[in-house]
Amino acid sequence: MNLKFLRYALGILLLVVSLGGGLAMGERKFPPLGPLPSVPVPPDNPMTTEKVELGKLLFFDHRLSGDLSTPCSRCHVPAQGWGTVTPISPGYPGTQHWRNGQTILNTAYYAKLFWDGSSFSLERQAPAAAGGNVAGNGDDVMMEERLAQVPEYVKRFKEVFGIDRPGIAQAWMAIAAFERTLVSDPTKVAFDRYAKGDKNALSPAAQRGLALFIGKAGCLQCHNGPLASDQDYHNLGLPEHPVFETMAIAQITHRYEQYIKGVTEAQYRAANRDMGLYYVTKRPEDIGKFRTPSLRELKYTAPYMHNGLFETLDHVLDFYNVGGGPAPGKSPLLKPLGLTEQEKQDLKAFLERLSSDEPPHVMDQPKLPPYAVMR
Amino acid sequence: MQFGLRHVCTYLIALLIPDAHPGVTRWYVCGFRRAWRSVAALTAGMVLLPAVLVAQQAPPLGPLPTPPAQKAEQVELGRLLFFDERLSGDNAIACAYCHQPEKGWGDGQPLSEGYPGSPYFRNAPMVLNVFFQKQRYWDGRLSGADLPTLVRDHLTEAHFMNADGRLLQERLKQVPEYVEMFDRAFGKGDPSFGKILNAVAAFMRTLVSRNSPFDRYLNGDQAALSGEARSGLALFTGKAGCTQCHHGPLLSDGKYHALGVPEHPQIIEEPERHITLRRFNRTLGVPNAVNVREDVGRHAVTKEREDWKAFRTPTLRELKYTAPYMHNGTLATLVDVVNFYNQGGGSATPKSPLLKPLGLTDAEKRALVAFLESLSGDPVVITWPESLPEYAVRPFGQN
Repeated sequence: MNLKFLRYALGILLLVVSLGGGLAMGERKFPPLGPLPSVPVPPDNPMTTEKVELGKLLFFDHRLSGDLSTPCSRCHVPAQGWGTVTPISPGYPGTQHWRNGQTILNTAYYAKLFWDGSSFSLERQAPAAAGGNVAGNGDDVMMEERLAQVPEYVKRFKEVFGIDRPGIAQAWMAIAAFERTLVSDPTKVAFDRYAKGDKNALSPAAQRGLALFIGKAGCLQCHNGPLASDQDYHNLGLPEHPVFETMAIAQITHRYEQYIKGVTEAQYRAANRDMGLYYVTKRPEDIGKFRTPSLRELKYTAPYMHNGLFETLDHVLDFYNVGGGPAPGKSPLLKPLGLTEQEKQDLKAFLERLSSDEPPHVMDQPKLPPYAVMR
Repeated sequence: MQFGLRHVCTYLIALLIPDAHPGVTRWYVCGFRRAWRSVAALTAGMVLLPAVLVAQQAPPLGPLPTPPAQKAEQVELGRLLFFDERLSGDNAIACAYCHQPEKGWGDGQPLSEGYPGSPYFRNAPMVLNVFFQKQRYWDGRLSGADLPTLVRDHLTEAHFMNADGRLLQERLKQVPEYVEMFDRAFGKGDPSFGKILNAVAAFMRTLVSRNSPFDRYLNGDQAALSGEARSGLALFTGKAGCTQCHHGPLLSDGKYHALGVPEHPQIIEEPERHITLRRFNRTLGVPNAVNVREDVGRHAVTKEREDWKAFRTPTLRELKYTAPYMHNGTLATLVDVVNFYNQGGGSATPKSPLLKPLGLTDAEKRALVAFLESLSGDPVVITWPESLPEYAVRPFGQN
C-alpha cells in the first residue's frame, strides 16, 4: 500500500513538475504536456457551424480530385484514425504517394503542415493535397466549376461566404474549418483527465510511463507541449521504407519528388532517401529532418513515422531505445536509452493514454449533393 | 473581284485535271464565258492573278505532299507511347482511346470522352494527316507549326490526359525497354518530357492518307473514280460550292467559318460536359464565361465578333471512316452532311454568307457523297500493341 502510494506520489510529482515550468533536460527546459488549449482559429477564416458543415461535405467530395477518385477522405479515412492503415499513403490512381498519410486529428494546432512543414496553414495544405500530382491531381478551375454545378453548394457558399458562386479558395477555407473541429476531446483522453486532477485516469503502469516519458526516455525533448510536439524538425536516422527498394511505382514517385522539389542533379541521381525539411530550406543540415508529429491519438494512427516504417508502437519504442536509426545526420538528442522490457511496456501504456478512449470523430461519408443541369 | 477569283480557281482546277468530267469543263467554260462579259473583271483577274492566289491561299485540289522522313526509332517509340495509358494522370486512358486506329483514328462518338470526370465538349478529330494542318483543334488555339506542342497540350490538359510531364518522364524511366528505346531514338540519356513529345509527334507524322481513289485519279488513273464520283467532283468544285472552303491537298482552307451547326445538347444537358466547357471558356478568358451556354468556337481564342461560333474547316480526307461529323458530331452520316449544306447550313446565327441553299437533286447528292468517299484512302491500320513494356524495379539511389 505504501509502495503504491509512493508510486502515485512520484507520478504526480513528475507531472506537476512537467506541467509547471518544465523539466530540465540538460540545460533545456521544455513546454509541459497538458490538455490542448482551445483551437486556434485564423482571424480571416472564422468558424461557423454552416462553414464546418460545408467543409465536411467537401472533405468527402470526390469531385475535388482529378478523375473523381480521390477526395480528402480517401487518404484520411475517419475509421482509420483519419489517416490510412498503409505505411505509405495510397496516392492518386496510377501513382503511389511517398510518405505516410498523417491523421487529420489535431492538425488544427500545427503551425506548419506536411512532414516537411512545407505548408503554412490548413487553408494552404488542402489545395496542395488536392492538386498534387501524386495526391488529388485536381485542376483548380475544373474543381471550382464542378462545385458551381451543384445547386446545394451554390446555396451554401452564398450563405457561408456571401459569394454568388462557389470559389475554390473558399472550399479550402471550409475544409480547414471542418478540420479544426477534428480535435481530441480532453474529457475522453485519459491523460487529459489525469492532468486535470483525476488521478485514477492513468494506471500505475501509465504513470510510470509518464515518468519515463519526461525522464529517462527523453521523449519530452521533442514531444512536448499540449500537442506532444515541439513542431520542430529532427533527423532520427530513420531508414527509407523498403518499398522504395522493391516497388517500381514507389520508385517513380521517389524520383519525381526529388525532381520537383528542386535538388541538384547530383542529388537527384543519388537520391535514396527522403530529405524532408531540406526540400523546403535547401540547408544541408536539414537533410533528413521531419517535423515532430503529435503523439495524440496514436493508438489509432499506426503505422508510424514519416514513411510508415513501424507498424506498432513496440517497433517505435525499440527504435528509440537503441538510439534511433543508422541514416546519416542523426540528431544528437538520440541516444541509446537502456529501457527494460517493463519500462517499454510502461511507456507504451502511457502513450496509449494520450489517445481518446474510443476512436475519435468516426463518421460516415455524408450524402453528397448532386450536380444539376444548368440551362 | 470575287467573281474573277472564283473563276480563276475553277480554271486552275480544270488545268490540273485536264480530263475532268465534262461537267467540270462545262461549268468552267460557262463561268469563263460569263467572265468574258465583264472586261473589267477579267482584266483585274489576270493582272492580279498571282497576288490573289498568294493572298487567298486557295491552292487547287491535289495530292498530299510527303511529310519529312522520321527516324524509325522515334516512330517506333512514339507508336508504343501512343497506346500507353501511363501517359495519362491516372493511367486510365491513352492517346489511342480517343484516336482509335480502327475508328478512323477518332473515337466514333459525337463528343470525345475526355478525361474521367471531365468529358469533352467537341468531337475527337482523326489524327491522320495532322502533320499538314496549319492550326490545331477545332478552334485553332494552337499553331500547326509544332506538332510536339499539340501532344504536350493533350497530355497535360485537365480535360484530356491530365498528366504532369515531370511525372511522365519518371514513369517511362522506370521501364527498361523504354529507356533503351529512348537511347536509340534520341541518343543516350534519360527519357525526358520533351523526348516523349517528340517521339509521339514522330509517330503521328507517319499517319498519312494513302492511295485514295481521288489521288489515283489525280495521278491519271481515270478508272479510279466512278462516273458518279466524277459527277460529284464537278458538283464539289461547282454547284455545291464546296471548294470555297474545302480546297488544297487537305481539302481545307485552314480558316474558320460559322455554319450554324446546332449545339450538341449534351454539352449543357450533361453536367460534367457543361463543367468541362465552362472551365475551358474560363481558362481561355471568354468574356462572361460562366454564363455562356454554348460552344463559341474560334471566338474563345480571338474574342473577335466575327469568330463567334466559327470552327476550323476540317480536312475531308478519310471521312469515310470518321463519322460522325462536324465539330460536335451532330451529323451522323455523309448524307446528313450533304443535306445540311444543301439547305444552306444550319439555322443558328450568325452564319457564314458563303452558305446558301444549293438546290441539289437526290442524284446530285448521291454523286457528291460518292466523290467525298473517294477522298478516303486505304485504312491506316496499326494494331494495338499486344502488350506494353512493363515497369521494373531499379537499383535504388542510382537514378
